[in-house]
Amino acid sequence: MSGDPLNKEKLGFIFKLFKAMQKDNLNYIYRGLFTAKITDNILALAETNLVKKDDPRALKRKVYNVMVEGLQNITKHQADIDEEVENNNGVFVLKKENFKYFITTGNLIENENIPSLTAQIEQVNKLDEDELKAYHRQVLVDGKISSKGGAGLGLIDMARKSGNKLLYTFEKVDDKYSYFYLHTEIPTTSSGTSLSTSANPGSIKYISALHKMLNEENVLIIFNSYFNQESLMNLLSIIEKQMVENVSLKKRFYNTMVEMFQNIIQHGDDYKQTPEGKAGLFYISETDEEYLLNTGNYIRNTKIPILTQKLEYVNNLDREQLDEFYNNRLFDFEIDSNKEAGLGMIDIRLKTDSTLEFNFLKIDETYSFYTLRAKISKN
Amino acid sequence: MEALHIEPSDDTPKIYFEPEVDLYVIEGKSLPENAIDFYQPVFDWTTKFLNSKEAPSNFVLNFKLDYFNTASSKQIAKLLRILEICNVSQNVLIKWYYDKEDTDMLKAGTRYSNLIKLKFEFPVNIESNID
Repeated sequence: MSGDPLNKEKLGFIFKLFKAMQKDNLNYIYRGLFTAKITDNILALAETNLVKKDDPRALKRKVYNVMVEGLQNITKHQADIDEEVENNNGVFVLKKENFKYFITTGNLIENENIPSLTAQIEQVNKLDEDELKAYHRQVLVDGKISSKGGAGLGLIDMARKSGNKLLYTFEKVDDKYSYFYLHTEIPTTSSGTSLSTSANPGSIKYISALHKMLNEENVLIIFNSYFNQESLMNLLSIIEKQMVENVSLKKRFYNTMVEMFQNIIQHGDDYKQTPEGKAGLFYISETDEEYLLNTGNYIRNTKIPILTQKLEYVNNLDREQLDEFYNNRLFDFEIDSNKEAGLGMIDIRLKTDSTLEFNFLKIDETYSFYTLRAKISKN
Repeated sequence: MEALHIEPSDDTPKIYFEPEVDLYVIEGKSLPENAIDFYQPVFDWTTKFLNSKEAPSNFVLNFKLDYFNTASSKQIAKLLRILEICNVSQNVLIKWYYDKEDTDMLKAGTRYSNLIKLKFEFPVNIESNID
């Protein structure tokens, strides 16, 4: 499955993914095995990257707490699953909307645990704020340990911190396993409000469907954002923290992402005029041999012929020719503006030692969705 | 002439051009969106300085970059071209530092040295930074 070309189907996938994330305002997704290190890193991101700097401290703390519980939930359940089970990949989704944060976790559980888990959540959802507090204390004192090692304390805590009912769903995988999705909403204003049902019950369904798509494509990280320098710097620091690979691989990642992003910042178009920049999608997927770095963004149809020509030209050069082309461009000060140094795509080709895959999906008379993929060998 | 000091940021390098101690360094990461805007003051200062009476007979420029994007690579080329022109009256030496395992950085320096008539040295960064 290495290097699956960007065929029509795949393009459909990328655009669907983009639309899904746009529509539901999903900002960040991690999918994979949740090791202690990955969990720590995601939590670190919550402090530095994922939560807005000017959010009130109390809100930040809440988001953080719910994330801790949610992630521990994943790792706890993950440990129970036999190692040979396929698709034992949890998912963590963060979304921001209208001063609210939404956290969704998904992980594999055994079907036989569904009734007890359901009972625990229903129990928590029945209680109001004061009752939750009392229940929390009672569980602490009694030490009523659930079979999963928690005491349901995590769930109680999540309900208390979020001030909302916990939304959940199960998606059957086979006779033995299901995915368990848990969705928590954290509103900014929490003082004195009684527990309300989350306003967004569709979201959890959405995410479970999305998770299926991600499993099929082996997607590791998705970042949905506006393409601007700030989001690039943010994403680079996320990748630096999450990619546990060697230095030279990290550098290649870094390099390729910068060039891909800045290319879109300069040349991408916006479907709707937004001051933040150009809406786009960035995700990393993998095969056994390589990492695939993918960008997706809108572009005007009128630009497609020239862009295609450029990309094909660069793709058709061999190493020596690329080097020469780079040298010529480097000192060609005729092509020198903040918009274009004329070197980005050549540089990606040289440093990744592979061709660029690209395609255009026509959206309407004016715009297409442009996907670009760079491949980085794991060796 | 007054020194040129630019503090580093997340996406721009530190510029430390200090005639008083005869030290000229570009250090850190360089991946600004608008590389031309960032480097213009460096070009202006360098041109002015090397054409002034204070210009030293030996000018050593130290590149200690961890990373730069292609937009910056073009501006570095421009800076080197400026130095190449000044090289007639001064002895210019480029010290291009790189981390031992960072062969891409060494390659980038070698590329410049092949395309520019300037003397280059390629020292390996020492682990512990002596500031």
